[in-house]
Amino acid sequence: MINEKDQITTIQVAVIVVNAMLGSGILTLPRSSATLVQTPDVWISVLLGGLLAMIAGVVMAVLAKRYPGQTVFQFNGRILGKWIGALVSLMFVVYFFMTAAYQVRIVTEVTSLFLLEGTPNWAIIMVFMWVSLYLMTGGINPIARLFEMILPVTILIYLLVMLMALNIVEVNNLRPVLGDGIAPVWKGIKSTALSFLGVETILILTAFMKRSEQAVKAVVYGVAVPMALYLITVVVVIGALSVDGVVTRTWPTLDLIRSFEYTGLIFERFESLFLVIWIMQIYSTYTISFYAAALGLAQLFNRPVAQCLYGLLPIVFIISVTPKDLTACFAFGDLLGQSSAFIFGLIPFFLLLITRVRKGKSG
Amino acid sequence: MKYEKNGFRRLLIVLSIVSLLLLTGCWSKDEIEDLSLYVGLALDEEHKTKLEHKLDKFSIRKEKENILTLTVQVVDKQNEDKGQSQGSMRDPSKKAYLNISQTGNSIFEMMRDYATQLERPVVGHHLKVIVINEQLARRYSLPQLLDFFLRDNDIRQNCAVFMSNGLARNTMEAKGNTIVPAFRLLGMMDNRYRTLKIIPPVRLYHLEAKMHARASYLLQNVTAAEGEVHMSGAAVIDGKTQKFKGTLNEAELLGITWLRGDGKGGLIKCTDPETNLPVTYELKSMKSKIRSKVAGNQISFDVQIETEGRIIEDWSMNSSPIDEAFIERVEQSGSEMVSKLIKQALAKIQKNYKTDVVGFGTRLHIEHPRLWKQMKENWDERFADIPITYSVKLNITETGTEKSH
Repeated sequence: MINEKDQITTIQVAVIVVNAMLGSGILTLPRSSATLVQTPDVWISVLLGGLLAMIAGVVMAVLAKRYPGQTVFQFNGRILGKWIGALVSLMFVVYFFMTAAYQVRIVTEVTSLFLLEGTPNWAIIMVFMWVSLYLMTGGINPIARLFEMILPVTILIYLLVMLMALNIVEVNNLRPVLGDGIAPVWKGIKSTALSFLGVETILILTAFMKRSEQAVKAVVYGVAVPMALYLITVVVVIGALSVDGVVTRTWPTLDLIRSFEYTGLIFERFESLFLVIWIMQIYSTYTISFYAAALGLAQLFNRPVAQCLYGLLPIVFIISVTPKDLTACFAFGDLLGQSSAFIFGLIPFFLLLITRVRKGKSG
Repeated sequence: MKYEKNGFRRLLIVLSIVSLLLLTGCWSKDEIEDLSLYVGLALDEEHKTKLEHKLDKFSIRKEKENILTLTVQVVDKQNEDKGQSQGSMRDPSKKAYLNISQTGNSIFEMMRDYATQLERPVVGHHLKVIVINEQLARRYSLPQLLDFFLRDNDIRQNCAVFMSNGLARNTMEAKGNTIVPAFRLLGMMDNRYRTLKIIPPVRLYHLEAKMHARASYLLQNVTAAEGEVHMSGAAVIDGKTQKFKGTLNEAELLGITWLRGDGKGGLIKCTDPETNLPVTYELKSMKSKIRSKVAGNQISFDVQIETEGRIIEDWSMNSSPIDEAFIERVEQSGSEMVSKLIKQALAKIQKNYKTDVVGFGTRLHIEHPRLWKQMKENWDERFADIPITYSVKLNITETGTEKSH
């Protein structure tokens, strides 16, 4: 089904999962979670949310590796029957290209506010989409190789910036720990777990793995890295700006980076550096979501992938420019998040249950 | 076939080279020479400059509702550039900065009105200091006055905020031609290792949190006269209203600094009670520990202050070696001195202003989070009646390069 040259290693799969997760969330996570939690215990919510995502990821990996060489769009039909399977697969496809559209929109909102004031949105979107299209026409292998290059740069620069921000962190902002008990922490999980969206790509990636039996390992590593980065983010951002200073800001992580300066270094300000790596991250999130959607369409309707890639391009563009303003855009993101909890939290679990029961019967 | 393929390739190469000409580079670039960078900003009650009055007389400007006067300090880039090309610093006969004022009722409108006055519009990427007049802050709350600065995407959140009991515009004036007043204020904040009279800089991102939490806080007060500035005392901002409530004088501010234990360096003026001659203590370190105590409904605080340092100046005339008894006497006198400062400060913030600017509430929040939840609504009023005990321990570890008096 999948030919030799389209196969990727376990590490590559883990890297793609990490890249798929790190996206727009990192800029807004401190606010969205602090608004729900209202105490400095946000970091505990991140830990628990990460664990939840990891469990969901493992369920998906276990399910996917039962059908080596097949993506979720193919084995859906085998588990649920042709028509219901196709319907569920279509749901996944819609989710994936909606996510892609959301990521493009966020990238334009932020770049036009902080980097390219005055550049028309369509110009930003189109360059972004075309470069990504060029990558995707090469198939999964070039995608994996590019992601492998992007990730170390991202982690290095990100950690560097966060390290420099430690200077303005005040420990009192992170205290008291569990002052209001555990209840607020639970509320926060709703938002933190959603920041790990992207883990669902394992349903597709497993099909390309050289050794698909290692899917679980890949997904666990894939969730662990963003979990560490998110943990650092909320601790540093809330430590520096405090809960009260975070809940009112639109892009708190950017505010953090705009809150310190180092005179005497080559760079005094780091937001441009940060925005560059962050754009690369959104690029990768967008690319893998878009590719997953196109692949799904191709496999559902038995068409070449390239056709679907080009066909989806205008649709994604139109969806990305549809939200009227930033508020509508965030509402769109919330809607995506909530539907994903259902799509990728429950459906894979039921699919796995069905296969288990069937196997029990036939055995 | 092969020839054809080559021809196609050549065409592609030519096409891609030609398309390079179409690349225009940056879409919306602004050359730095075409911008006026403002580094300092002063907010006053309506107080038009002479120039503004003249312009009003001659022009047909739309009459704005006048609430406040805004002054921006623009770094004179042109002048600085000229200097560099000649090799010398800059033209010494001209000031290094330019102050321009606007009067109106919307800060953004005034900012944009500079475009009708200057060939190079002002941009805020490098704003470092905001000074606010105290009377203006008595009338309008800081969230109102600073909203634009917290919202704008050019202005960075590490911009420092000061108050001035005089005309804020005056702090943006300097006598010499080499000084940029905004940078002078910025530089003075780095002097905290030499004096206790300057508090840690309060920046916009701090204010965002304080405003949202409706907490009280202090802002450094700057006094200006004849092109010179002086950091003296602090302005108290009331939590509930977020307006200016009153000032703390230098002694009271010192008391607050001792309570907070966040001084970096400075001195205590002691006296030797036997001779009544001054002895000065230079501190090397300062620590304070605030503990909250809750017994039933009664909250109280205990502050333990510890400091280490040396004797740096001693006016007594005898030249005998310094003995333990003398050191103890000075330590005693020093801690009494600090206690006195603290007593004054607490009296002012508890009885006069009823505002917790030290951070006792934060301690209560950390140590008794549940109790804090009930208290935080009216914390400043409750704080006024809470008993606070304190002890000061002074530790002289050396006497400088002299062993004797």
